[in-house]
Amino acid sequence: MPVIRFLTSGKEIEFPEGEEVNILRISLRHDLGLPWSCASGLCGTDRITIVEGAENLSGVRRRERDRLGELLDDNVRLACQTYASGDLAIAWDPDQKGIDEDSRAGKRLKTVWMEGSKHGDQSADDGSDKAERA
Amino acid sequence: MAEMMNEEEFRVALEDAMKGREAKDASFSMAWATGKLERKHFARWAENHYHYVGPFADYLAYIYANTPDHATDAKDFLLQNMWEEEIGDVRHTDLLIRFAEACGTTEEAIVDPGNITAVTRGLQSWCYAIAMREHFAVATAALVVGLESQVPSIYRKQLPPLIDPDVYGFTEDETEFFDLHITSDEIHGERGYQIVLKYADTPELQQRCIEVTRDGADMRFAYTKALYDTYVAPDLGAWDPALVPA
Ligand code: FES
Repeated sequence: MPVIRFLTSGKEIEFPEGEEVNILRISLRHDLGLPWSCASGLCGTDRITIVEGAENLSGVRRRERDRLGELLDDNVRLACQTYASGDLAIAWDPDQKGIDEDSRAGKRLKTVWMEGSKHGDQSADDGSDKAERA
Repeated sequence: MAEMMNEEEFRVALEDAMKGREAKDASFSMAWATGKLERKHFARWAENHYHYVGPFADYLAYIYANTPDHATDAKDFLLQNMWEEEIGDVRHTDLLIRFAEACGTTEEAIVDPGNITAVTRGLQSWCYAIAMREHFAVATAALVVGLESQVPSIYRKQLPPLIDPDVYGFTEDETEFFDLHITSDEIHGERGYQIVLKYADTPELQQRCIEVTRDGADMRFAYTKALYDTYVAPDLGAWDPALVPA
Protein backbone atom coordinates (compact mmCIF):
# COMPACT_ATOMS: atom_id res chain seq x y z
CA MET A 1 0.00 0.00 0.00
CA PRO A 2 1.26 3.54 -0.77
CA VAL A 3 2.49 5.57 2.20
CA ILE A 4 2.40 9.32 2.83
CA ARG A 5 5.09 10.44 5.27
CA PHE A 6 4.33 13.65 7.16
CA LEU A 7 7.94 14.44 8.02
CA THR A 8 7.34 17.53 10.16
CA SER A 9 4.95 15.76 12.54
CA GLY A 10 6.82 12.44 12.29
CA LYS A 11 3.67 10.56 11.30
CA GLU A 12 2.76 8.42 8.31
CA ILE A 13 -0.32 6.88 6.84
CA GLU A 14 -1.02 4.13 4.35
CA PHE A 15 -3.89 4.21 1.89
CA PRO A 16 -5.33 1.58 -0.46
CA GLU A 17 -3.57 0.96 -3.77
CA GLY A 18 -5.44 2.48 -6.69
CA GLU A 19 -7.03 5.27 -4.65
CA GLU A 20 -6.34 9.00 -4.89
CA VAL A 21 -6.46 10.80 -1.56
CA ASN A 22 -6.69 14.50 -0.82
CA ILE A 23 -3.67 15.35 1.33
CA LEU A 24 -5.39 17.79 3.67
CA ARG A 25 -8.36 15.48 4.12
CA ILE A 26 -6.19 12.53 5.10
CA SER A 27 -4.30 14.77 7.54
CA LEU A 28 -7.54 15.94 9.15
CA ARG A 29 -8.99 12.46 9.31
CA HIS A 30 -5.96 10.92 10.99
CA ASP A 31 -4.78 13.97 12.94
CA LEU A 32 -1.44 14.17 11.13
CA GLY A 33 -0.74 17.79 11.94
CA LEU A 34 -0.94 19.90 8.78
CA PRO A 35 -1.93 23.52 9.47
CA TRP A 36 -4.89 24.78 7.41
CA SER A 37 -7.54 27.43 7.34
CA CYS A 38 -9.80 27.98 4.33
CA ALA A 39 -9.70 24.55 2.62
CA SER A 40 -10.40 26.37 -0.65
CA GLY A 41 -6.99 27.22 -2.09
CA LEU A 42 -7.19 30.83 -0.94
CA CYS A 43 -5.12 31.35 2.21
CA GLY A 44 -1.99 29.25 1.60
CA THR A 45 -1.83 28.12 5.24
CA ASP A 46 -1.53 24.48 4.20
CA ARG A 47 1.44 24.82 1.83
CA ILE A 48 3.70 21.78 1.82
CA THR A 49 7.10 21.10 0.36
CA ILE A 50 7.25 17.89 -1.63
CA VAL A 51 10.36 16.06 -0.45
CA GLU A 52 9.73 12.83 -2.37
CA GLY A 53 7.04 11.53 -4.72
CA ALA A 54 6.11 14.59 -6.80
CA GLU A 55 5.36 12.20 -9.64
CA ASN A 56 2.53 10.69 -7.57
CA LEU A 57 0.59 13.95 -7.27
CA SER A 58 -2.36 15.33 -9.20
CA GLY A 59 -1.70 18.22 -11.60
CA VAL A 60 -1.38 21.78 -10.33
CA ARG A 61 -4.82 23.35 -9.93
CA ARG A 62 -5.77 26.87 -10.88
CA ARG A 63 -5.95 28.13 -7.29
CA GLU A 64 -2.47 26.80 -6.58
CA ARG A 65 -1.15 28.70 -9.59
CA ASP A 66 -2.87 31.87 -8.35
CA ARG A 67 -1.82 31.50 -4.73
CA LEU A 68 1.66 30.00 -4.98
CA GLY A 69 3.07 31.52 -8.17
CA GLU A 70 6.82 30.97 -8.26
CA LEU A 71 6.74 28.83 -5.10
CA LEU A 72 5.52 26.02 -7.37
CA ASP A 73 9.03 25.90 -8.85
CA ASP A 74 10.36 25.14 -5.34
CA ASN A 75 8.18 22.01 -5.06
CA VAL A 76 5.59 23.77 -2.91
CA ARG A 77 1.94 22.70 -3.22
CA LEU A 78 -1.29 23.35 -1.33
CA ALA A 79 -2.44 20.28 0.59
CA CYS A 80 -6.13 21.11 0.19
CA GLN A 81 -5.79 21.24 -3.61
CA THR A 82 -3.59 18.18 -4.11
CA TYR A 83 -4.32 14.47 -4.43
CA ALA A 84 -1.76 11.69 -3.96
CA SER A 85 -1.92 8.34 -5.75
CA GLY A 86 1.37 6.83 -4.54
CA ASP A 87 4.25 7.15 -2.06
CA LEU A 88 4.94 10.66 -0.86
CA ALA A 89 7.01 12.56 1.72
CA ILE A 90 6.07 16.13 2.70
CA ALA A 91 7.31 18.77 5.13
CA TRP A 92 6.13 22.20 6.26
CA ASP A 93 6.83 24.96 8.75
CA PRO A 94 4.71 24.08 11.80
CA ASP A 95 4.19 27.78 12.58
CA GLN A 96 3.23 28.87 9.10
CA LYS A 97 0.27 31.19 8.57
CA GLY A 98 -1.56 32.22 5.41
CA ILE A 99 0.69 33.59 2.69
CA ASP A 100 -0.48 37.17 3.07
CA GLU A 101 -3.55 39.17 3.69
CA ASP A 102 -3.67 40.30 0.07
CA SER A 103 -5.07 36.96 -1.02
CA ARG A 104 -8.39 37.11 -2.83
CA ALA A 105 -10.04 36.05 0.45
CA GLY A 106 -8.28 38.85 2.32
CA LYS A 107 -9.31 41.42 -0.24
CA ARG A 108 -12.85 40.19 -0.26
CA LEU A 109 -13.12 40.31 3.52
CA LYS A 110 -11.57 43.74 3.59
CA THR A 111 -14.13 44.96 1.08
CA VAL A 112 -16.96 43.54 3.14
CA TRP A 113 -15.75 45.17 6.33
CA MET A 114 -14.89 48.47 4.68
CA GLU A 115 -18.28 48.64 3.00
CA GLY A 116 -19.78 48.00 6.43
CA SER A 117 -17.76 50.90 7.81
CA LYS A 118 -19.24 53.25 5.21
CA HIS A 119 -22.63 52.57 6.72
CA GLY A 120 -21.45 54.04 9.97
CA ASP A 121 -21.18 50.91 12.10
CA GLN A 122 -17.40 51.00 12.46
CA SER A 123 -14.45 53.22 11.56
CA ALA A 124 -12.34 52.53 8.47
CA ASP A 125 -9.39 51.70 10.73
CA ASP A 126 -11.43 49.19 12.65
CA GLY A 127 -12.38 47.65 9.32
CA SER A 128 -8.74 47.07 8.33
CA ASP A 129 -7.90 45.57 11.69
CA LYS A 130 -10.75 43.14 11.44
CA ALA A 131 -9.72 42.14 7.94
CA GLU A 132 -6.22 41.45 9.22
CA ARG A 133 -7.45 39.36 12.10
CA ALA A 134 -9.91 37.41 9.96
CA MET B 1 -32.28 -2.24 20.55
CA ALA B 2 -29.32 -0.76 18.64
CA GLU B 3 -25.97 -0.68 20.46
CA MET B 4 -23.61 2.28 20.56
CA MET B 5 -21.01 1.93 17.79
CA ASN B 6 -17.44 3.09 18.13
CA GLU B 7 -16.31 5.88 15.77
CA GLU B 8 -14.81 3.57 13.16
CA GLU B 9 -17.89 1.32 13.05
CA PHE B 10 -20.15 4.36 12.87
CA ARG B 11 -18.15 5.92 10.00
CA VAL B 12 -18.38 2.66 8.04
CA ALA B 13 -22.14 2.49 8.70
CA LEU B 14 -22.56 6.04 7.37
CA GLU B 15 -20.49 5.21 4.27
CA ASP B 16 -22.49 2.02 3.73
CA ALA B 17 -25.74 3.98 3.98
CA MET B 18 -24.83 5.77 0.72
CA LYS B 19 -23.69 2.71 -1.21
CA GLY B 20 -25.79 1.77 -4.22
CA ARG B 21 -27.56 5.13 -4.26
CA GLU B 22 -24.73 7.56 -5.06
CA ALA B 23 -25.64 10.36 -7.45
CA LYS B 24 -22.52 9.78 -9.56
CA ASP B 25 -24.22 6.58 -10.75
CA ALA B 26 -27.54 8.21 -11.68
CA SER B 27 -28.48 8.40 -15.36
CA PHE B 28 -27.87 12.16 -15.76
CA SER B 29 -24.40 11.87 -14.17
CA MET B 30 -23.46 8.91 -16.36
CA ALA B 31 -24.68 10.62 -19.52
CA TRP B 32 -22.68 13.73 -18.50
CA ALA B 33 -19.48 11.84 -17.78
CA THR B 34 -19.65 9.87 -21.02
CA GLY B 35 -20.09 12.90 -23.28
CA LYS B 36 -23.74 12.29 -24.25
CA LEU B 37 -25.20 15.66 -23.17
CA GLU B 38 -25.60 18.97 -25.01
CA ARG B 39 -25.23 22.48 -23.61
CA LYS B 40 -29.00 22.86 -23.38
CA HIS B 41 -29.08 19.90 -20.96
CA PHE B 42 -26.42 21.53 -18.76
CA ALA B 43 -28.49 24.72 -18.81
CA ARG B 44 -31.47 22.82 -17.39
CA TRP B 45 -29.19 21.20 -14.79
CA ALA B 46 -27.92 24.63 -13.72
CA GLU B 47 -31.44 26.05 -13.47
CA ASN B 48 -32.35 23.22 -11.13
CA HIS B 49 -29.07 23.06 -9.23
CA TYR B 50 -29.30 26.72 -8.30
CA HIS B 51 -32.45 26.02 -6.28
CA TYR B 52 -30.87 23.12 -4.44
CA VAL B 53 -27.47 24.67 -3.60
CA GLY B 54 -28.44 28.36 -3.64
CA PRO B 55 -30.00 28.15 -0.15
CA PHE B 56 -27.18 25.97 1.26
CA ALA B 57 -26.02 28.69 3.64
CA ASP B 58 -29.64 29.11 4.73
CA TYR B 59 -29.93 25.40 5.54
CA LEU B 60 -26.67 25.60 7.48
CA ALA B 61 -27.86 28.68 9.33
CA TYR B 62 -30.83 26.74 10.68
CA ILE B 63 -28.49 24.00 11.86
CA TYR B 64 -26.22 26.64 13.40
CA ALA B 65 -29.13 28.07 15.37
CA ASN B 66 -29.97 24.57 16.66
CA THR B 67 -26.38 23.86 17.74
CA PRO B 68 -25.72 24.42 21.45
CA ASP B 69 -23.05 26.88 22.56
CA HIS B 70 -20.80 24.16 23.99
CA ALA B 71 -20.38 22.55 20.55
CA THR B 72 -18.04 25.33 19.45
CA ASP B 73 -16.22 23.22 16.86
CA ALA B 74 -19.50 22.30 15.19
CA LYS B 75 -20.67 25.93 15.18
CA ASP B 76 -17.35 27.08 13.72
CA PHE B 77 -17.52 24.44 11.00
CA LEU B 78 -21.01 25.54 10.01
CA LEU B 79 -20.08 29.20 10.04
CA GLN B 80 -16.99 28.63 7.93
CA ASN B 81 -19.01 26.58 5.47
CA MET B 82 -21.56 29.41 5.19
CA TRP B 83 -18.80 31.99 4.79
CA GLU B 84 -17.24 30.01 1.95
CA GLU B 85 -20.57 29.63 0.16
CA GLU B 86 -21.30 33.31 0.25
CA ILE B 87 -18.41 35.71 0.82
CA GLY B 88 -15.13 33.77 1.19
CA ASP B 89 -14.31 34.48 -2.44
CA VAL B 90 -16.57 34.57 -5.47
CA ARG B 91 -20.07 33.68 -4.30
CA HIS B 92 -20.60 30.04 -5.23
CA THR B 93 -23.93 30.69 -6.91
CA ASP B 94 -22.24 33.33 -9.09
CA LEU B 95 -19.88 30.62 -10.33
CA LEU B 96 -22.89 28.44 -11.09
CA ILE B 97 -24.53 31.30 -13.00
CA ARG B 98 -21.29 31.83 -14.93
CA PHE B 99 -21.39 28.20 -16.07
CA ALA B 100 -25.10 28.38 -16.81
CA GLU B 101 -24.69 31.45 -19.01
CA ALA B 102 -21.97 29.63 -20.96
CA CYS B 103 -24.60 26.94 -21.57
CA GLY B 104 -26.95 29.46 -23.13
CA THR B 105 -29.39 30.24 -20.33
CA THR B 106 -29.80 33.51 -18.45
CA GLU B 107 -29.57 34.63 -14.83
CA GLU B 108 -33.27 35.48 -14.98
CA ALA B 109 -34.14 31.92 -15.98
CA ILE B 110 -31.83 30.46 -13.36
CA VAL B 111 -33.28 32.30 -10.40
CA ASP B 112 -36.87 31.60 -11.52
CA PRO B 113 -38.21 28.82 -9.27
CA GLY B 114 -40.75 28.01 -11.96
CA ASN B 115 -38.01 26.37 -14.03
CA ILE B 116 -37.34 23.38 -11.79
CA THR B 117 -38.70 19.86 -11.53
CA ALA B 118 -40.98 18.75 -8.73
CA VAL B 119 -38.17 16.51 -7.50
CA THR B 120 -35.80 19.49 -7.19
CA ARG B 121 -38.49 21.31 -5.24
CA GLY B 122 -38.78 18.26 -3.00
CA LEU B 123 -35.02 18.12 -2.43
CA GLN B 124 -34.90 21.78 -1.44
CA SER B 125 -37.87 21.34 0.91
CA TRP B 126 -36.32 18.24 2.49
CA CYS B 127 -33.09 20.18 3.14
CA TYR B 128 -35.02 22.97 4.87
CA ALA B 129 -37.11 20.53 6.91
CA ILE B 130 -34.13 18.50 8.10
CA ALA B 131 -32.11 21.61 8.93
CA MET B 132 -34.93 23.18 10.93
CA ARG B 133 -36.30 20.16 12.73
CA GLU B 134 -33.56 17.65 13.46
CA HIS B 135 -30.79 17.48 16.08
CA PHE B 136 -27.73 19.32 14.73
CA ALA B 137 -25.67 16.12 14.39
CA VAL B 138 -28.50 14.46 12.46
CA ALA B 139 -28.93 17.47 10.18
CA THR B 140 -25.17 17.54 9.57
CA ALA B 141 -25.28 13.84 8.67
CA ALA B 142 -28.08 14.48 6.17
CA LEU B 143 -26.79 17.62 4.49
CA VAL B 144 -23.03 17.34 4.78
CA VAL B 145 -22.39 13.57 4.82
CA GLY B 146 -25.40 12.41 2.76
CA LEU B 147 -25.33 15.26 0.21
CA GLU B 148 -22.21 17.45 0.27
CA SER B 149 -19.63 14.71 0.82
CA GLN B 150 -20.67 13.10 -2.49
CA VAL B 151 -19.65 16.15 -4.49
CA PRO B 152 -15.95 15.35 -5.08
CA SER B 153 -16.77 11.88 -6.45
CA ILE B 154 -19.40 13.36 -8.78
CA TYR B 155 -17.43 16.34 -10.09
CA ARG B 156 -14.14 14.48 -10.46
CA LYS B 157 -15.92 12.40 -13.12
CA GLN B 158 -17.77 15.33 -14.65
CA LEU B 159 -15.13 18.05 -14.87
CA PRO B 160 -12.65 16.32 -17.26
CA PRO B 161 -15.17 15.95 -20.11
CA LEU B 162 -16.42 19.49 -19.52
CA ILE B 163 -13.00 21.00 -20.25
CA ASP B 164 -11.96 18.45 -22.87
CA PRO B 165 -12.07 20.33 -26.20
CA ASP B 166 -13.07 17.12 -27.93
CA VAL B 167 -16.03 16.51 -25.61
CA TYR B 168 -17.85 19.59 -24.22
CA GLY B 169 -15.10 22.20 -24.65
CA PHE B 170 -15.83 24.64 -21.80
CA THR B 171 -13.07 26.93 -20.51
CA GLU B 172 -11.39 26.74 -17.10
CA ASP B 173 -13.10 29.98 -16.16
CA GLU B 174 -16.56 28.73 -17.08
CA THR B 175 -16.11 25.57 -15.03
CA GLU B 176 -14.60 27.04 -11.85
CA PHE B 177 -17.75 26.04 -9.93
CA PHE B 178 -16.80 22.37 -10.34
CA ASP B 179 -13.07 22.71 -9.73
CA LEU B 180 -13.71 24.62 -6.51
CA HIS B 181 -16.13 22.05 -5.12
CA ILE B 182 -13.98 19.03 -5.92
CA THR B 183 -11.49 20.13 -3.28
CA SER B 184 -13.49 22.23 -0.81
CA ASP B 185 -16.15 19.55 -0.36
CA GLU B 186 -13.47 16.97 0.44
CA ILE B 187 -12.71 18.97 3.55
CA HIS B 188 -16.34 19.86 4.30
CA GLY B 189 -17.19 16.18 4.02
CA GLU B 190 -14.40 15.13 6.37
CA ARG B 191 -15.23 17.83 8.93
CA GLY B 192 -18.89 16.84 8.63
CA TYR B 193 -18.05 13.22 9.43
CA GLN B 194 -16.05 14.35 12.46
CA ILE B 195 -18.92 16.45 13.82
CA VAL B 196 -21.38 13.60 13.36
CA LEU B 197 -19.04 11.00 14.90
CA LYS B 198 -18.49 13.21 17.94
CA TYR B 199 -21.97 14.55 18.65
CA ALA B 200 -24.22 11.62 17.72
CA ASP B 201 -23.56 10.29 21.19
CA THR B 202 -26.44 7.89 21.78
CA PRO B 203 -27.43 4.73 19.85
CA GLU B 204 -30.67 6.45 18.83
CA LEU B 205 -28.88 9.48 17.41
CA GLN B 206 -26.43 7.25 15.56
CA GLN B 207 -29.30 5.30 13.99
CA ARG B 208 -31.09 8.49 13.02
CA CYS B 209 -27.90 9.79 11.40
CA ILE B 210 -27.61 6.61 9.35
CA GLU B 211 -31.26 6.88 8.27
CA VAL B 212 -30.98 10.50 7.13
CA THR B 213 -27.66 9.88 5.40
CA ARG B 214 -29.38 7.14 3.38
CA ASP B 215 -32.38 9.44 2.78
CA GLY B 216 -30.06 12.25 1.65
CA ALA B 217 -28.31 9.98 -0.81
CA ASP B 218 -31.72 8.78 -2.07
CA MET B 219 -32.88 12.38 -2.47
CA ARG B 220 -29.80 13.38 -4.45
CA PHE B 221 -30.05 10.26 -6.63
CA ALA B 222 -33.75 10.93 -7.32
CA TYR B 223 -33.02 14.60 -8.12
CA THR B 224 -30.27 13.63 -10.57
CA LYS B 225 -32.31 10.88 -12.23
CA ALA B 226 -35.27 13.25 -12.64
CA LEU B 227 -33.06 15.64 -14.59
CA TYR B 228 -32.38 12.90 -17.12
CA ASP B 229 -35.99 11.76 -17.30
CA THR B 230 -37.30 15.31 -17.73
CA TYR B 231 -34.77 16.97 -20.00
CA VAL B 232 -32.62 14.32 -21.67
CA ALA B 233 -34.87 11.32 -22.25
CA PRO B 234 -36.97 13.21 -24.84
CA ASP B 235 -33.76 13.56 -26.91
CA LEU B 236 -31.84 10.37 -26.14
CA GLY B 237 -34.53 7.97 -24.94
CA ALA B 238 -34.51 6.03 -21.69
CA TRP B 239 -31.05 5.69 -20.16
CA ASP B 240 -29.24 2.53 -21.19
CA PRO B 241 -26.40 1.62 -18.77
CA ALA B 242 -24.87 -0.46 -21.57
CA LEU B 243 -23.81 2.86 -23.18
CA VAL B 244 -21.23 3.34 -20.42
CA PRO B 245 -17.83 1.92 -21.43
CA ALA B 246 -16.69 -0.83 -19.02
S1 FES C 1 -6.22 25.66 3.58
FE1 FES C 1 -6.25 27.65 2.70
S2 FES C 1 -5.23 27.27 0.81
FE2 FES C 1 -5.45 25.25 1.57
